[in-house]
Amino acid sequence: MLTALEIVAYTAASLFYLSYLIAPRRGGDRVGRAALGIGAAFQLVDVGVRCVHSQHPLSSVAEVMALVGWMIAVGFLIASVRYRLAAAGAFAAPAALVMLVLARVVPAAPGAPAMGMLGRAHILLATVGVAVFTLAAILAVLYLVEERQMKRKQFGRMLGGGTPLDTLDRLASRCVSLGFPVFTVAIVTGAVWIARLGFVTGMQSLRFEHLLAVVTWVAFGVLLVARVGAGWQGRRAAWLTLGGFGGAFLVLVVYFVRHAAS
Amino acid sequence: MSVDLHLVGVSHKTAPVAVREKLVIVPELADEALRRVGALSGLREVAVVSTCNRVEIYAVASDGAAALRLLSDHLAQRAQMAPADMAPHLYSRRAREALHHLFRVTASLDSLVLGEPQILGQVKDAYDLAVRCGTAGAVLGICFPGAFRVARRVRRDTAIARSPVSVSSVAVDLARQVFGGFEGRNVLLVGAGKMSDLAARAFRSHGASLTVTNRTLERAKELAARIGCLHHPFEDLAGAIARADIVLASTGARVPVLTRELVAQAQRARRGRRLFLIDIAVPRDVEPRCTDLEGVYLADIDDLQKVIADNRDGRRGEADRAEAIVEEEVVRFLDGQRGRKVGPTIAALRARFLGTAEGVAEKWSSSTPGLSERQRRAYFEMATEIAKKLLHDPSVALKARGAAAEGPALVQAVETLFGLAEAGATGAQLSAVEPAADEGDDGGRDKKAAEG
Repeated sequence: MLTALEIVAYTAASLFYLSYLIAPRRGGDRVGRAALGIGAAFQLVDVGVRCVHSQHPLSSVAEVMALVGWMIAVGFLIASVRYRLAAAGAFAAPAALVMLVLARVVPAAPGAPAMGMLGRAHILLATVGVAVFTLAAILAVLYLVEERQMKRKQFGRMLGGGTPLDTLDRLASRCVSLGFPVFTVAIVTGAVWIARLGFVTGMQSLRFEHLLAVVTWVAFGVLLVARVGAGWQGRRAAWLTLGGFGGAFLVLVVYFVRHAAS
Repeated sequence: MSVDLHLVGVSHKTAPVAVREKLVIVPELADEALRRVGALSGLREVAVVSTCNRVEIYAVASDGAAALRLLSDHLAQRAQMAPADMAPHLYSRRAREALHHLFRVTASLDSLVLGEPQILGQVKDAYDLAVRCGTAGAVLGICFPGAFRVARRVRRDTAIARSPVSVSSVAVDLARQVFGGFEGRNVLLVGAGKMSDLAARAFRSHGASLTVTNRTLERAKELAARIGCLHHPFEDLAGAIARADIVLASTGARVPVLTRELVAQAQRARRGRRLFLIDIAVPRDVEPRCTDLEGVYLADIDDLQKVIADNRDGRRGEADRAEAIVEEEVVRFLDGQRGRKVGPTIAALRARFLGTAEGVAEKWSSSTPGLSERQRRAYFEMATEIAKKLLHDPSVALKARGAAAEGPALVQAVETLFGLAEAGATGAQLSAVEPAADEGDDGGRDKKAAEG
């Protein structure tokens, strides 16, 4: 029941923001924001209910996916209080919706057998990191589209009323510098966790996704250094953000697929 | 129900500038001109709206036709033209039509540039002047604030004034697409022409700081002094660009001043930070190839004109909605005036009833000896209670039907039946939009809002 309400609210928000993207109305993104807020509130209640049934947000990959979706929605809502980001909503709302739906179509399965505190910390931090990187990637996509319109002088029909390029770039940069330390700790805890598991069972080896996670981490690290050190910004930074996000997303997908397969 | 407001005027739609310039009133002589109109016989109140696109005299008079003749002659005389020559350029409106016209003009629906914001301020100035000179009274005191309210509503509820339609404001708008705000941003003016002057002021009003550079140093210094900003040697154009976020080029040069090489050099110095080039010169000042450079955006005069044309179309599309709002507001305004008439009548009726009740109670209690204070109070309470009960139905009926067509007749009937008119307590014997007792509050409040 709650899930249905969440999906309805997120769908409404997505549709509204997408229509806003096509035909912007002044102050018209309030409805989308309200719908998204209601959806996020429902999901929060849902999380509480699931906790009672010992399906806390970190208990399975599916729950983690749902949590990522929720964080994207909430992160976007927080940012949109301060900035005009209606166009970004057309990405954030569907992203939250897709995450939630994906999470719910997979039957709830028990989590990893011996998770412990370390495992939980790793999953929580990785989740936050991926959610924040998703927001950064959304902003980067918008930046690239808008910058292209600017270059091509399509001034009249700027995407979704046009959040200024500078704002998009700055926010994306902030998301990355916020997500990076979190993701770093997630990688460290993950590495320690794997090492311990391997130590205990004697059969855990490095997998593709572990390597990918490190590559992602390096990509974002390079981006941060390049932004501060070499004054990278704008298009190049946006592409690198997308690359890093691609890696992070792929890690999540691999986990998801493996989990669904097992 | 109608209004005693009438107007005669000329505008860009009816008269060429050759006629308008004879009528336009310079601000220094405005109060004298206004007083002269106010002294014409038969006009109770007057206000004159004078802009470069229109001169309109609004007057309050019981005899509308006579007032319009008088004002037409006055305008012809001012323009030193024969009334017959002047007539084709004049338009006149009476009563409801005049009110409707005032609302349209103030809401910028009659402007040359649809939705332009200055007209509201100009009409406000005209009204303020009339108030200062004592030529505005109760009728103008509700019509003009009413017009300001309508104008604000049109601006709020339609997109008519939303998108910019001048080169300088479009330039600011496009730069905002890149930078958001202009606090701490540097705008470099290359060339010291008239157009860059306007655009520079627009940028500065949004918080940007300005620098001027020009091939002739003298002109640069002159402009810098006029708008109060720094100037930079033209020889170091690349250095100047390196420090700017927005470059506004408007030189008279025949070949591009901002070549790709020059901008590339500047971009290296500024480490690829975003740079917005606005080229309003013809022939162009900025090489189009500059947009190949990372982080460089360019808008030339054609781009700006295209945005302006699009925005104009958008405004015309909104005009129909705005016209509907104006029409609705005229109806509401006139209904409100009718409703307003009822207030004083109810108050007078109430005063009459309660006064009578208290008088009778007073008479009885004083003619009955040996009453305690409590008994005396009981007399009074009973009397006023009866009066209030009796007041209830007529008050409700007046409130409910006062705004309808039979409202004035109803008010008249109540006043005749209860002898209120001779008590001088109501506004019913005054003409339609004459001051009602509660009008002062409303007008005052509105004026304050208008100033704010």
